[in-house]
Amino acid sequence: MNKLWIIIKREYLSRVKKKSFFVMTILGPILMVLLIVLPVLLQKSTQKNYNIIVVDETQKTVIEGDTISFFAGKYKSNDVLTFQYSKSVEESQQLLKEGLCDGVLEIVSTSDNPPIKAFLFHGETEISLDATTEIKDQTKQIFKNSVLRVNYNMSEQDIKVVNDPKIGFYTKNIDTGEDSSSALKTVLGVILGFVIYFFIFLFGSQVMRSVGEEKSSRIIEVLASSVKSVYLLFGKIIATALLGLTQIALWIVLTFIILGGISLVEPNILQPKEQSTVQISERVVNVDAMDFTQEEPAFIQQAMQEIQSINFPLIISMFVVYFLLGYLLYGSLFGAVGALIDNDTDNSQFTLPVTVPLILAIICAPMVMSDPSGGVAFWLSIIPFTSPIIMLIRLPFGIPVWQLSVSIVLLILTIFLCVWIASKIYRMGILMYGKNFTWKEVIKWFKKK
Amino acid sequence: MENILEIKSVTKNYSSKKAIDNVSFDVPKGEVFGLLGPNGAGKTTLIRMINQITMPDEGEILFENEILSEKHIPFVGYLPEERGLYKKMKVGEVALYLAELKGLKGIEARQRLDAWFEKFEITEWWNKKVEELSKGMQQKVQFITTVLHNPRLLIFDEPFSGFDPLNANLLKQEILSLKENGATIIFSTHNMASVEEICDRIVLINSAHNILSGSVKEIKQRFKTNEYEMITTSSEIEHLITEGVILKSKKQGKDSQTISVLQIPQGKNAELLSSILKETEIISYKEILPTMNDIFIHTVKTNNK
Repeated sequence: MNKLWIIIKREYLSRVKKKSFFVMTILGPILMVLLIVLPVLLQKSTQKNYNIIVVDETQKTVIEGDTISFFAGKYKSNDVLTFQYSKSVEESQQLLKEGLCDGVLEIVSTSDNPPIKAFLFHGETEISLDATTEIKDQTKQIFKNSVLRVNYNMSEQDIKVVNDPKIGFYTKNIDTGEDSSSALKTVLGVILGFVIYFFIFLFGSQVMRSVGEEKSSRIIEVLASSVKSVYLLFGKIIATALLGLTQIALWIVLTFIILGGISLVEPNILQPKEQSTVQISERVVNVDAMDFTQEEPAFIQQAMQEIQSINFPLIISMFVVYFLLGYLLYGSLFGAVGALIDNDTDNSQFTLPVTVPLILAIICAPMVMSDPSGGVAFWLSIIPFTSPIIMLIRLPFGIPVWQLSVSIVLLILTIFLCVWIASKIYRMGILMYGKNFTWKEVIKWFKKK
Repeated sequence: MENILEIKSVTKNYSSKKAIDNVSFDVPKGEVFGLLGPNGAGKTTLIRMINQITMPDEGEILFENEILSEKHIPFVGYLPEERGLYKKMKVGEVALYLAELKGLKGIEARQRLDAWFEKFEITEWWNKKVEELSKGMQQKVQFITTVLHNPRLLIFDEPFSGFDPLNANLLKQEILSLKENGATIIFSTHNMASVEEICDRIVLINSAHNILSGSVKEIKQRFKTNEYEMITTSSEIEHLITEGVILKSKKQGKDSQTISVLQIPQGKNAELLSSILKETEIISYKEILPTMNDIFIHTVKTNNK
């Protein structure tokens, strides 16, 4: 055991001291932060704010002695669009020609009821699809509201109810008794599954490469004469697992430090976009009492509910458990493959059988996401070779305890089997030089005592 | 004589082929023991079994009368033919690591390494990366790591390959001084000249079998052909040859001397010499013993027939 410790120490230290580890550790969080921040930054910097003048002719319409404006003052300005109002089409078009605004929205009235004939958009330059869509959406909404109010005499309150019916849609998992709702959980599950996949591949192939290096540099002969050769394999696997945990921990810490630093410098950048966009333009006169920001808390509330229904301690602990178990399973197999491969030859015959189940799991991920408790999802999260990835995708949706237990127990049993097979292949493989193995030969080693 | 190692009817199979088939021999303590054999004979397999890298399928290996086990690992030092160290590590760190794996404590390992590095005048290599050293330099480091833990049994597989004559000589002196200090050395090589020079005893393995073993002296006696080389002043010796003696060859040496090779049956020397001395002068007269090279070639060839 003392020798195993010496091996682990060297394997761990020599890897931590490598430049590539340093680079990965620093680059990882920077990439992660860039992934979060860059889209926001890009959007903010490239976004043009269009200045739109709304000419609402319906204002003149008189119904039951009231002057009612259907559209004037009802558009919401945001990052993309700023709305102003005018009564004269000619004046507005003049402003447009002078380049003082980007578009004029003319609402042509008629004496019919509802008194709208057409929406005309005048523009010098093409405005972006986003902006066009936004104008259309707002126009539809305002039109609907106005019709409801004017033609059906509905109160503000009633209109709000119709527009945003507070109907909760909850699903309850019969097995776990937990509430579940899917959007956020799907995202979380996919991230967890992919991270595990990535780590198993990254660290598993590190074991493989390191075994291969010892073999090709021939130091293995001296090592094997000093310690039991399986200690070398185990030491490598354990040290790489520790390295993985170190890297994950450093990434988390560094990401938070960088994100923290950025939000100190520019606090707004990490705010969700929706919150900053919903503002009622100050330029609008006669702002209606209708409060559009009402929708926002409802959304946030729902998200919060969703987040609260996720069992984070369970997910984090299972992430660590499945990462370690999955890594042990694949790491030992990768180690065995490392002992078989020869540097200069084509090794896909050996690496392929090990990587196929991993890739299969990722291919099946969309199927699992769309039906997290279906048959495919269930079996793939029980079968040891795919369970580390698939179970993590399913996990946010809640998994019955018995399924988790069966999956983990099977995984552990398979690890014992694989480690046994791997150490046997390893012991033979590391001492064989200068020939290409075939699987037939490898299987022969097992027939022998 | 006490044996440090006893190989008893050891057999090792690889896939379908027998790498070692029922081989037995003893390695006496304190000697330099030559492990000889053509390529692919099974020497490496045998060495790996002595190092416990692999286990015999049949038979057993005794180390100081005990069945070879993990506790003997610190008593054995092994310099494989194919040498290598971690290329990216510092020389000192690799040496320390290998020493610790052999069971040396960190501080002690460091002290001994310092002493050896000084002895070989390579102290400034300590912080260099292994890949910065030449092949010969790396081998020097590896030699140190092999002997650092003062093993009682040392196994050198082609130790001189890759060394220049100067360093090869340095190494030879080290090996001999290890022997003087009581270590037993198993020495595997194809260089028969160095076998004659330093080996006390040999075993010859061919196609997985032990085909010849014994002390170098005794083997040479066993293979001698009763041939003698005689240098005389006159070339006219044919008529002086006594009965039973065969003149194998005769050639002109320098200063009009004649070098003849004679096969003389045992006990006939005196008779022949007195006959020849009647007419000519004998400048030298010595027995021709076969070289290990001859014995190797002869034995392996006969065995392969």
